[in-house]
Amino acid sequence: MDIAVETKALRRVYRSRRQEVVALDGIDLQVRRGERFGVLGPNGAGKTTLIKILVTLLLPSSGEAFVDGLDVIRQFREVRHRIAMVSGGENVGFGMLKVREQLWMFSQFYGMPSAQVRRHIAELLERLGLSEAADRRVSALSSGMRQKMNLIRGLITNPRILFLDEPTVALDVGAARDVRDEVRRWMAEDPSRTVILTTHYMMEADELCDRVAIVNRGRIVAQGTPAELKQQVQQDAIVDLQLSPGNRLLDALRAVDGVAAASVSEQDGIDRFSLHLSSDAALSGVMRVVEGSGRQIRGVQKREPTLEDAFVKLVGRGMAEEEQA
Amino acid sequence: MNHPSAIRIFFKTIVARAYPRFVGSHRNLTWLVTETLLPLIGTIAMIYVYRALHAPARYLGFVVLGGVLLAFWQNVIWSMATQFFWDRGGGNLELFAMAPTSLAAILLGMALGGVYMSLTRSAAVLLVASTLFGIGYSTASLLPALGIFVLTVCALYCLGMVLASLFLFYQREAWQLADALQEPIYFLSGFYFPVRSLGAVVGGLGSLIPLTLGLDAIRQLVLPGTPQFVPLAWEVVAIVVQIVAYGVLSQVSLRYLELQSRQDARLILRST
Amino acid sequence: MSEAIAQWRGFKAATRLGWKISSNWTQPLIFVIYSVLRPLSAAFILVIMYRVISGGAPGTGAYLAFLVSGVAFWSFVQYGFAGLSNGIVEDRGEYKMLKYVYTSPAHFYVYLLGRGLAQLASAAASAVIVLVVATVALRLPIHPLGVNYPLLLSASFLALLAVIGMAMAYGLLLLQAVDAHGYGELGSGVLYVISGAIFPITVLPGVLATLASLSPLVYWMELIRRSLLGSQAIRMFPALSDGDVMLRLVVTTVATLLLAHLVFTWADRQARRKGLIDMESNW
Ligand SMILES: Nc1ncnc2c1ncn2[C@@H]1O[C@H](COP(=O)(O)OP(=O)(O)OP(=O)(O)O)[C@@H](O)[C@H]1O
Ligand SMILES: [Mg+2]
Repeated sequence: MDIAVETKALRRVYRSRRQEVVALDGIDLQVRRGERFGVLGPNGAGKTTLIKILVTLLLPSSGEAFVDGLDVIRQFREVRHRIAMVSGGENVGFGMLKVREQLWMFSQFYGMPSAQVRRHIAELLERLGLSEAADRRVSALSSGMRQKMNLIRGLITNPRILFLDEPTVALDVGAARDVRDEVRRWMAEDPSRTVILTTHYMMEADELCDRVAIVNRGRIVAQGTPAELKQQVQQDAIVDLQLSPGNRLLDALRAVDGVAAASVSEQDGIDRFSLHLSSDAALSGVMRVVEGSGRQIRGVQKREPTLEDAFVKLVGRGMAEEEQA
Repeated sequence: MNHPSAIRIFFKTIVARAYPRFVGSHRNLTWLVTETLLPLIGTIAMIYVYRALHAPARYLGFVVLGGVLLAFWQNVIWSMATQFFWDRGGGNLELFAMAPTSLAAILLGMALGGVYMSLTRSAAVLLVASTLFGIGYSTASLLPALGIFVLTVCALYCLGMVLASLFLFYQREAWQLADALQEPIYFLSGFYFPVRSLGAVVGGLGSLIPLTLGLDAIRQLVLPGTPQFVPLAWEVVAIVVQIVAYGVLSQVSLRYLELQSRQDARLILRST
Repeated sequence: MSEAIAQWRGFKAATRLGWKISSNWTQPLIFVIYSVLRPLSAAFILVIMYRVISGGAPGTGAYLAFLVSGVAFWSFVQYGFAGLSNGIVEDRGEYKMLKYVYTSPAHFYVYLLGRGLAQLASAAASAVIVLVVATVALRLPIHPLGVNYPLLLSASFLALLAVIGMAMAYGLLLLQAVDAHGYGELGSGVLYVISGAIFPITVLPGVLATLASLSPLVYWMELIRRSLLGSQAIRMFPALSDGDVMLRLVVTTVATLLLAHLVFTWADRQARRKGLIDMESNW
């Protein structure tokens, strides 16, 4: 098996005067060459920290990491030739440069031949629908355009391994699809390429990634193909419950016998609860709690498990929920 | 795996990083006003001080030459030393650091991009002030003077690279620090008076800044009658030594910065 | 009543903000050192320039005192003018604050006054320290008990009103520019040349000298020196009595404030009309 990225017992602690934050707490990963590998996790899970270690910007506090067979701690200079990283929402570069110029500039830090890069840039701009904006100043781009430009920045240096940290954050549906399509196409072009991406979007991980690791509080809580992860919740009954708004109900629902996990999200003024029931019988207990709360039931459905459900079960809460103290 | 050589990347980086500076100075011409008027006004104010004291004409020349080199010092401070600090804030620094290039090349590129502005600025000071106040220079030793000027600027840029990493380590607002040190440096370098007037101790201290000796040497060459601080030859040797010393020191400090930044996330990474 | 309270709150908040912005980057002690080091160095530059030319001839004390007092009090213009007008631009750019200020109940005027005041506090500290250090080090003929404090304070009060007025008007004018980087210093640089701070305005060519005589700063500088040094002061206006100089200071200050008000009102209207307040400057 050809391994593109490997970590062993990777740990990273941030120390500041007042406190210590354990951002990564023993990460063991193996990403195969040619894989689209997703790292899923709630805010503060340690996703960005993991990426920054792999792209040689940060040292681990302990443990090891290898990128393209090279030790990121000692062989970092060599590693840098082979990787690229793009973060979503980044606003880097120089506002008064034109898009084309900015991309060229970054490619030069990798020593790329200018003529070849210019052609490549034009091609990628075209494919991502940015040709019109090629001569526009970077400062005049919308955030969707900017993010596409950033992706191109990652591609023009021909990395062997591409790291994407939330590449579609804050993009509209169309732009996010363009980005995902481009990643897929780039991977298809050369089977030895590898992508590691972090994301908040279940759908994205499900659709784009061959394998996914779910990270929570600096640890991997599960990894496998999206199908395998969904398997973990296959025997649960997943029930969606739509209720009118009201007082906090989540804890009460979680306390009901037979409720394995529960999460909530709000949409159009309706609270949508997702409940994992270990048996259908638990539903009556749920209904009693709902009646007691005085909330109105707007809908109940039983449905097929999604990656989100696997996440909720493993992490104990939904992606959209706030970190609980 | 094949990849471009370090040398190739080094030079390409310099050009690429100079590019936005260069382009920026064309796309946004407002700098012309501040960058030329501001030093000109400062120079003129000092010239009037000498005028009020009925000083000999060469003293006006001291001020003008000080103003010329000042432009380069400003470029080193504002375009080099504090620049990593700004780049970090915007997230550029982590991209520079992650690329297989050297931070020294990035800094040199910034400096090169700024040289153009500095030249415009110092030319404006030299021409306008000299014309307005009728200051004449001896052109007999113009070439050696130019040579010393180039050496001085090289030494300055080496010092600038050292300062750039220092500024990042010093986790304060680099801008404020650089701002607070402006006048003290003008004083120590003898921008507005012959360096000799500082005396041996203060002048020696000021000579740690390559400007001091370079300025004195150039004045000795083009303004006859300049009170000599130390013999010209010594000054040239000292500047060359400074180029080497600051050059080595900058490499050491950039290396250290690079290693240290991977321990301490705050050094290079954009605060999230 | 509640309007007045809102204004007062805005004023206090602005003063605090101004202080924080200019000092939060370091410990107060280091801040003071820095704000003293700059003007002290500027003073010593002038001292050396003077010494080189005069060679320490007798009677040098009076001229040194002329230079030192000019530089020491110049910090009020430095901070008050460049600091405040830059502050307005920074509030828009780096701090993205200006739009909130514009929409807050405190009037913009009051807010700017507060910010200016914070700057003046820094300036006062640095002026006093520079004067004291230079007086001791250079044995200047300034005696704390001999200073005409009423004259000094009343002249300074008027001049600072003028400075803040000019700075507010100038700062708002700067908002019209996309990139106003460095223009604050540019403005104070021009004032420096025509204020008589480091040389008598008589050495200026005709036009500049006339312009200088219309600026309240010249009369302020003259009164500073007269109040600090009494009869030893080197006078830029030997023919004028203290009262005459004061009269000119009052007249020029009032005129400056009127002009500043007109400019401010005009620029303020322009800024609102063109949406310059929350414009993102691109750097
Ligand atoms: N420079 C730093 N100094 C101190 N703590 C940090 C630093 N960077 C990150 N952390 C902490 O480390 C933990 C992991 O952060 P990280 O940014 O890796 O999470 P993440 O999974 O990328 O989160 P998000 O989804 O919000 O991007 C968090 O608790 C964060 O507060
Ligand atoms: Mg993150």
